[in-house]
Amino acid sequence: MGNILEFVPGDSFLHRLNPITKIVLAFLFCICSLLSNNLLIQVGLLAFLMIIAFAAGIGEKAMGLLRTLLFFCILMIILQLIFMRGGVGYLVLPGGFPLVTSDGLYYAALFTLRIINATLPLLMMFAITQMNDLTNAMVNRLHVPYRYMFILTTAFRFIPILAGEFHDIMDAQKARGVEFDTRNIFKKIGLIVPLCVPLLVSSVKKVDSGAVSAQVRGFSLRTRGAGYKAYPFRLGDLLALLLLAAMIVLLVFFG
Amino acid sequence: MAAMLEFDHVHFGYGRAVILPDLSFTIEKGDMVALIGANGAGKSTVSRLCNGLLLPSKGHVRVTGMDTKKVRTSALARKIGFLFQNPDRQICKNTVYDELAFGLQVQGVSEAEQKERVEKALETFHLDPKWEPFTRSRGERQRIALASVLIHEPELIILDEPTTGLDYRECTEIMEYVTALNREKQTTVLMVSHDMELVQSYAKRVLVLSGGQLLGDGPVRQIMKDEQTLHAAKVMPAQIPALALRFGDTFSDVYTVADMVAALEKERG
Repeated sequence: MGNILEFVPGDSFLHRLNPITKIVLAFLFCICSLLSNNLLIQVGLLAFLMIIAFAAGIGEKAMGLLRTLLFFCILMIILQLIFMRGGVGYLVLPGGFPLVTSDGLYYAALFTLRIINATLPLLMMFAITQMNDLTNAMVNRLHVPYRYMFILTTAFRFIPILAGEFHDIMDAQKARGVEFDTRNIFKKIGLIVPLCVPLLVSSVKKVDSGAVSAQVRGFSLRTRGAGYKAYPFRLGDLLALLLLAAMIVLLVFFG
Repeated sequence: MAAMLEFDHVHFGYGRAVILPDLSFTIEKGDMVALIGANGAGKSTVSRLCNGLLLPSKGHVRVTGMDTKKVRTSALARKIGFLFQNPDRQICKNTVYDELAFGLQVQGVSEAEQKERVEKALETFHLDPKWEPFTRSRGERQRIALASVLIHEPELIILDEPTTGLDYRECTEIMEYVTALNREKQTTVLMVSHDMELVQSYAKRVLVLSGGQLLGDGPVRQIMKDEQTLHAAKVMPAQIPALALRFGDTFSDVYTVADMVAALEKERG
């Protein structure tokens, strides 16, 4: 989880796009994935995503994200295979009951690809956009109050920090004999509850010291014009948005 | 008889970064060893390899003959007490009593024995059972964490920079508890530190680590005078032995302020 939102430095055409364009593109791509029930189109969308990821130098990161998303889709794939019983049966058990069916396989693949195509663009957006740029662009161009953007980006920044802290606390508890290394999943879940106390304490301490540090650095004095970087919209932004808009139109009529 | 702790050609890395290329050493029962080195030398990695929180990619780590690759960390915890630099990661209960009893509960100790051992620990460490750990000072929290480690009566204690952020009195208190255990019960101690004054005061043997390799291994007094090794490991030597070295052979046995005063008075006749 710690690496999911990590920024990958680069100077590709995607990196150079306006942060707001990147958010809009990610949402438009999500819409594209929801517009089609065609498996081939979903495969095409994923292929398109991977091509631009490799072109932007975040191919390895995109593959990692893809693996993570596939892991989260396992349960859904199993449910589709169990409950979609139409079509041709495969792996027929004694008694004539097919373990999987062609419909089950089709819908498992379709929904998995749809979830990946709807989620991956947003995660890729974080890989090519620095949090500071995202915040500043939202404040400067969309006039979102800085306070709210600060809350949002701080929340995102806390995810890897808390994941690391959770890991360290778990290690400390294992070292005193708490059986987190047990193979019994229910026992493990029960043991996690005591971890919430140190995690909560350290989170509150971090938030408190973060607030003090922001205050002493003049957080309350910050205005919309306080950023030193400009975030202009360029031709590349327009072309990228037009491309995605065209894809949506095509999918509405032919998807 | 198996050594208390044995590193047998241990290789370890995070991804492509190799932290320990090939590390071997042995610690016998009753030893009080300091592992010193600059930041990034691999000290914390070594300490985490001892109790199975990390596993070597090549070679073996054995605790009383048990291979950490074959035994789970929670099982090793019965033999090893590990005090982390940050006590807040260890403490998870709302009162000191519950905190001390928690470790015994998870190890299946009977209630009567829990009560007896907790009361003994409260007395030894001068702790109030009703204290709320998270509202106490850093030094007190570290003392609570140490009590909850030592309540298991481990055979090996690992202290990972235990005195960071503590004042002199708190630091001395923590180290005195550990030294007493080492002296009275022959408990083996491995302390990870880069505080050379602390190391000189309490350790018997010192391992010098740099870039994951052992640059020095010997009695504390020998290492304190080995400026070349300490310099190579980017560790600042303790002040009195360093000063004594400058004064030549007459001061070869000077390690403490008292030694220095005695040597100077002898010089003056």
